[in-house]
Amino acid sequence: MTTATVAPRAPQPARLRGSRSRTVVLAVGLVVSLGVLVLMAGLGVAVGSKAVPLGDVWRALVSPDDSYNAAVVASRIPRTQVGVLVGAALAVAGAVIQGLTRNPLGDPGLLGVNAGASMSVVLVTAFLGAGLGRTVWAAIPGAVLAAVVVYVVGSGRAGSTPVRLILAGAAVSAVLVAVVDAVSLAKPDVFDSYRFWAIGSLAGRTAQTVSLTTGFVVVGLVICLAMSRSLNAIELGDQAATSLGLAPGRTKALAALGATILCAAAVAAAGPIGFVGLAVPHVVRSFTGADHRWLLPYCAVLGPVLLIGSDVIGRVVARPGELMVGAVTAFVGAPFLVAAVRRGRVGL
Amino acid sequence: MSATTTGPTTTDTTPTVLAGGQRLVLLGSRTRPWFAVVVRTRAGAVGAAFLVLAAVLAVATLTLGELGIPLAELPGVLAGEGSRAQEWTLFTSRLPRLGVAVLAGAAFGVSGAIFQSVTRNPLGSPDVIGLGAGAAAGAAAAALVWPGLVPTPVGALVGAFVAIAAVYLGTGRGFGAPHRMVVVGIATGAMALAFVQLALVRASRESAQEVAVWITGSLAARATEHVQVIALAVVVLLPLALVLTRPLQLAEMGDDLATGVGASVRFSRPAAVVVAVLLTGAAVSVSGPIAFVALTAPQIARRLTRSSGPGILAAACCGAFLLVLADLVAQYALPGTLLPVGVVTAGVGGIYLAFLLVREWKQVSV
Repeated sequence: MTTATVAPRAPQPARLRGSRSRTVVLAVGLVVSLGVLVLMAGLGVAVGSKAVPLGDVWRALVSPDDSYNAAVVASRIPRTQVGVLVGAALAVAGAVIQGLTRNPLGDPGLLGVNAGASMSVVLVTAFLGAGLGRTVWAAIPGAVLAAVVVYVVGSGRAGSTPVRLILAGAAVSAVLVAVVDAVSLAKPDVFDSYRFWAIGSLAGRTAQTVSLTTGFVVVGLVICLAMSRSLNAIELGDQAATSLGLAPGRTKALAALGATILCAAAVAAAGPIGFVGLAVPHVVRSFTGADHRWLLPYCAVLGPVLLIGSDVIGRVVARPGELMVGAVTAFVGAPFLVAAVRRGRVGL
Repeated sequence: MSATTTGPTTTDTTPTVLAGGQRLVLLGSRTRPWFAVVVRTRAGAVGAAFLVLAAVLAVATLTLGELGIPLAELPGVLAGEGSRAQEWTLFTSRLPRLGVAVLAGAAFGVSGAIFQSVTRNPLGSPDVIGLGAGAAAGAAAAALVWPGLVPTPVGALVGAFVAIAAVYLGTGRGFGAPHRMVVVGIATGAMALAFVQLALVRASRESAQEVAVWITGSLAARATEHVQVIALAVVVLLPLALVLTRPLQLAEMGDDLATGVGASVRFSRPAAVVVAVLLTGAAVSVSGPIAFVALTAPQIARRLTRSSGPGILAAACCGAFLLVLADLVAQYALPGTLLPVGVVTAGVGGIYLAFLLVREWKQVSV
């Protein structure tokens, strides 16, 4: 019995040892990344458009008093928490979309999902009166609708290609953003304080935002991480996936559901933020390879690093004002789009 | 002279009908004409129709609304016989706005026609490849980040050239790869708009409203100097565009063929691109990056004229018509709300882009 199972493995001990050491390296790397995330979160609390001395930051965290600095630091804590949630959600959603569509240019922002989510949040807020940024449910129908429309428009008779999807995403986004603009301009009383949200911003998030978003992000992450093995099979093509015992349609639908929940939660919390879902999986893939079992956890850890880092940059470059994090991620992430095209893996 | 010797000129000037609604008008003998010109009757008719429609809409723009001037009084006020309030409305508010709409629309249309011809792709138009956003970033830099360094229109031109250079270099294959160009253009546009946001946030803290207007493009509160800038650009650049794009029509069939029939595109293509970038820069500096006029105007014009080639004049007329129409819609679509015109063009143009994509992919596999 034992010899029977060991015997076939005998010819490949070297590869086995290699993959084992690779596993160790990747696991250690993940722990290191977590450390980086903790450091970045600390930076997110310590640095802002209002300069607070490090000593005061520490005091405000350990024993908060009534001082102005303590209030400033306290306001940065939920903001950083939202940054963690949204960064993880966007990066994982991006990686899943890239795997699902077998498209290295997949990104919730580029493919119009973020615009759809923000449209439905704005419509619900304007006509039903639910608070903007308070409910993730409001974002889900728009995200689903946009995803479906982009997929239908982006798939010609010959199936979808990265460029088609991106162009369809640009077209659908343009229409949806126009709707958002029109509604928010028509009801200035409702939207006056939410304009920054419409561009993608972590400013002014409260503990309420955190508590309402956390559940959705956790559910979405669990679905996506559970699908990572199936996503590996999907990337081999539908036929290969079927022969591996998967039902490609059901697998894809479930993974798309997970990604959509993540996008909707991210948009409801922070507005449409682009390029995190594009850039992070690209960087991560360069050292994990295409294996989603490593890709997705790394994205979940490094997405927040990018988002909080971008947020900190946005708070520092425009003192005493602050730049919306969506603008910073566009600046940081857009070159990855160019790099992906030039590397020639998108068939251009 | 030969006409008098070989026969009556009336028969010789009879136009020869060519393909695509074109007519060849000859003066002189049929075999050795001393003057021959191809007249695109259909293109001319389409352009004229757009101009008439634009004029009707222009009258509507001037007469509608609370402060509007009744149609009967319009000629009088134009001649300077109206009340003070009427004159202020007309000359300070409505005419400049209308002028910018007509001229910027024409500029966008021509720029789009040139780019679509050069890239041989309807999607290679300036608003898709990030040119408008680049011009907006340049304008923001000139107006807000380093005020007083250069005039805003110059800043917009510099921004447009930087953007087109970024796209040209970013693709790694110049303009030879249309779809790469689109993707790199989307990246360039995203970065440019991020820069606009940075400039606005640094300039004022209460700027979210301004951000929306700058990024979508608006024709509100235009003044005479805006009209002067865009009028100068159109007057100088439109004839240049007409001259430079003649060889481009042949080049749409391939560079080798164009060279073979004696139309070298080595000079005229880059020159035409420069003209197109200048037109976009000028238009963006007076109206902001209004989306999709440059994409749709040449397309609609081409469909209606059924001609190949850039169709500069028809595209210009169509662009002017579209922008005047969009501005009218923007002002009256939502009662009590003055939308930026860019919201309307983005909404309608986005749907048109989607339609274009579906159509294109039914025909060929990209």
